[in-house]
Amino acid sequence: MTTAPVPPTAVDQPAAAPTRRSAARARWLAVLRTPVGAGAGLLLAVVLLLAVFGPVFWSDAADTVDTTAAMQGASGEHWVGTDALGRDLFARVLVATRLSIGLALLATLIAVVLGLLLGTAPLLLGRRAGRLVTAAVDIAVAFPGLLLALFFAVVFGVGATGAVLAIGFAGAPSFARLSHTLAAGIADRDFVAAARIAGVGRVRVLLRHVLPNIGEPLVVNATIGAGGALLAFAGLSFLGLGVQAPSYDWGRLLQDGLSGIYIHPEAALAPGVAIVVAGLAFNLFGEAVAKGIGLTATVNGAYPVPGRSRADTVPAAVTDDGTPATDPGPAADRPVLDVQDLSVTFPGPGGLVRPVRGVSFRIGRGEAVGVVGESGSGKSLTALAVARLVEQPGEVTADRLEFQGTDLLTGSERSHRRLLGTSFAMVFQDPMTSFNPTRRIGRQLAEVAQEHQGMNRRQALDRAVDRLRSVRVPAAERRAHQYPHEFSGGMRQRAMIGMGLMGEPTLIVADEPTTALDVTVQRQVLDLLAAVRAADGVALLLISHDVAVVGQVCDRVLVMYAGRVVEDLPAAELDTGARHPYTRALVAAVPDMDVDLDAPLPVIPGRPVDPAHQPPGCAYAPRCPLASARCTAEDPALADDGTGWRVACWHAGEVADLAVPGAAPVAVSLGERA
Amino acid sequence: MSELRFDDVSVRYGSRRRAMTAVDRVSLTVPDGAVVGLVGESGSGKSTLARAAVGLTPLSGGRILLDGEPIRHGSGPRPVQMVFQDPYSSLDPRMTIGESIAEAVPRGTGSADRRREVSRLLELVELDPARAGAHPGQLSGGQRQRVALARALAARPAVVVADEITSALDVSIQGTVLNLVRRLQRELGTSMLFISHNLAVVRYVASEIAVMYLGRIVEHGPAEQVLADPQHPYTRDLLAAVPDSAHARSARSAADPTPAAVAAAEPADPHAPPPGCRYHPRCPVGPLVHPEREVCRTTEPTADHRHATACHFAPAPEPLAGRTT
Repeated sequence: MTTAPVPPTAVDQPAAAPTRRSAARARWLAVLRTPVGAGAGLLLAVVLLLAVFGPVFWSDAADTVDTTAAMQGASGEHWVGTDALGRDLFARVLVATRLSIGLALLATLIAVVLGLLLGTAPLLLGRRAGRLVTAAVDIAVAFPGLLLALFFAVVFGVGATGAVLAIGFAGAPSFARLSHTLAAGIADRDFVAAARIAGVGRVRVLLRHVLPNIGEPLVVNATIGAGGALLAFAGLSFLGLGVQAPSYDWGRLLQDGLSGIYIHPEAALAPGVAIVVAGLAFNLFGEAVAKGIGLTATVNGAYPVPGRSRADTVPAAVTDDGTPATDPGPAADRPVLDVQDLSVTFPGPGGLVRPVRGVSFRIGRGEAVGVVGESGSGKSLTALAVARLVEQPGEVTADRLEFQGTDLLTGSERSHRRLLGTSFAMVFQDPMTSFNPTRRIGRQLAEVAQEHQGMNRRQALDRAVDRLRSVRVPAAERRAHQYPHEFSGGMRQRAMIGMGLMGEPTLIVADEPTTALDVTVQRQVLDLLAAVRAADGVALLLISHDVAVVGQVCDRVLVMYAGRVVEDLPAAELDTGARHPYTRALVAAVPDMDVDLDAPLPVIPGRPVDPAHQPPGCAYAPRCPLASARCTAEDPALADDGTGWRVACWHAGEVADLAVPGAAPVAVSLGERA
Repeated sequence: MSELRFDDVSVRYGSRRRAMTAVDRVSLTVPDGAVVGLVGESGSGKSTLARAAVGLTPLSGGRILLDGEPIRHGSGPRPVQMVFQDPYSSLDPRMTIGESIAEAVPRGTGSADRRREVSRLLELVELDPARAGAHPGQLSGGQRQRVALARALAARPAVVVADEITSALDVSIQGTVLNLVRRLQRELGTSMLFISHNLAVVRYVASEIAVMYLGRIVEHGPAEQVLADPQHPYTRDLLAAVPDSAHARSARSAADPTPAAVAAAEPADPHAPPPGCRYHPRCPVGPLVHPEREVCRTTEPTADHRHATACHFAPAPEPLAGRTT
């Protein structure tokens, strides 16, 4: 009994994403739509237009010598007055735009090209020679740019050429450093390694793989660099080291005007304003682009998942202000967590996106509930929403969200933080980033007790050591004085759980706590969670993409798909009794040690639903072997069968036609395991 | 015929004083047309061994031979190709998938032939050839991993090294990639070094299994033998850690209570590997549990058993008769 090979079309639904190139263009356009971006862009356009056309229109006025009108102040005829030869200063400032901007851009070009050569040289030269180049660049970066410029100006001689070379060379080290850092980041990526294995030479790797991927930040920095070069150039000209008469740029005009600043200050102010405006145009535009690109990158990526820091995991003493508001039942029967119709909404590029859509569940005292689903199913967001860790622009709505009988939807944020902080513990996937790397583990745990339980330093540290011991950290006293990097991944995860136990939590939410760990260590951490639960009667909400992990630890499993709970079943029934076709497919897709070696592995055809494009009917219908017309039209509700087993499927419990890929192996494995 | 042989290979990182031996005198053969599964935890050196095989990491000792000849990493595609773990970083986001694959096609191919080859490869990995112009950003993780496979095959490799190619994927997608790997391997007869931390995955793909711990291969043999009759305690530990149904689990822990000292042991630091047998600080049959077994602390076991096992106290045929030193 084998599954038919999945036709490529079934697996590869074309993504509705725009191509990369048009996406990049859209990002640049988006930058121009922000107020700062639009203003800076407009300013830059004016400056560049002036640079091109200024001399065409105003050269005559600028060069007309009229000794009768020398050294005049501002007037209707000469807006900012005239110079010693009676030439119109306003026209001269406008005409000087071309030389000022042109020289600045030329200098920037030199800086960028030289910087790129120096910065990417380590990639081309190999290790030893590369290190030499990098060291030389590092030394050059340490010198102030203007100092270098002055030094080079002396070396190359006084004049425009010398100044261009001077500013270009002076700007090169910082570009070299930047491009080296960016290129080194790209060169470490697997696709560069893959290209090298494919026999692509170093130069081609640089041109095809590295440069295109560092282009954007380099362009942005070059724009800002051009503003800097403009200022530097004006400075050199002002000092008499730059442009020499009879040519003139803004710096030169500024110097000329300065001699008469007490008689008519406009002559100095006008070129000064021009320098400031042009410099601002370059810098602001660069900054706006940098900001715009940075911002859109996060919007296009995954949902912002805030609060993945240890600061949000602090539990301590239980406060008693959480009297039940809606549920008058005795405390013992009250669920620890009661969630009704929870939704999380994010603003997306094409309107609101709801990655979590109406999730309802309860967790009883001491109960272990697992949440499984593919990535993007909304399982982690559900946990974050419960912990009140979804931050702007995300929005959480629910009919009911009660923790220990306290309504988390109303009342002050502060008291909620306190309640959650005291009796709620969260364990995240990556124990590496959950601790502050600069502080000792023991102190980090103790801090929690000091903050919330009013313990003194000594007591808190004792409690921390005791908690570390309780999570089976060997030699807890000694380890409490160690830093996070001295802990292995598994030990760090134990310490994290220990931190959760500093108070007296009634619920531990563990989001993929073992995904970053090795299998042998994974088992230890899962055993620990089970032991903690058994010892203290703590409820556990365990989120994982791995059905096997959840099945091992939990009593009950919530299966999530496309932001909804599609089945809520006893963990013991996972292997054989699941009623939702998605649950069955998910269980079947995990290869175990008994899987038939002669048959292809069962797979779930298609790909998960994009939260921005939810179909009207059941979200799983396009991948479901049981799907009928009703499934694509109507979304099934999560129906309770009376025993607490809930399933959202029009065809719950039906066995699929064996010829349908993905379904057959389920039936087979059912038979084998039963 | 293409047989990949690691001959006493060592890889050291870092300078002399803070050096770390990631791979320590490993000898392993990937026979022609066979898939050797390499398992071990992070830090065991399995990825370093893979990178050494494709020439991304220089050897500090030993040789890697392809059909008895040292591998030359000259110009053109290398004879040993690799598929990386993370399909999100192994494809250049700025290149179309067609360009990425074409890059690995041997030089001297005309552009029309190159296009035809790319189409053929895309079909081979069950992707629509019309999508050659797509960028990686438009593909799912599983599709990207298939593109990465196609790129590796484009170079007409003698051996393919697959480094944890399913661990970054969702379980639901993992199966499609594994099925594809198996189908391609059978159709093309490529020799393969398949690295994974998941024994269930390795079992499905590999005909031989090698187990690595702290830079050394501690057990190596035919897949069914290693899985059915693991000799090294570390292999048994790995097997026990494979998650399966809750019932089997409780039965196992009841039958085989792990001694507390062993359960609490931490994975060793690769920077400071313990003397003697490297597994002894965690070993349930070693000096932690049996204090008289001092030999484990002092002497490194050599691998010679029914299938090669580097353990002084491998169980077969009798508990203590397996001593080799």
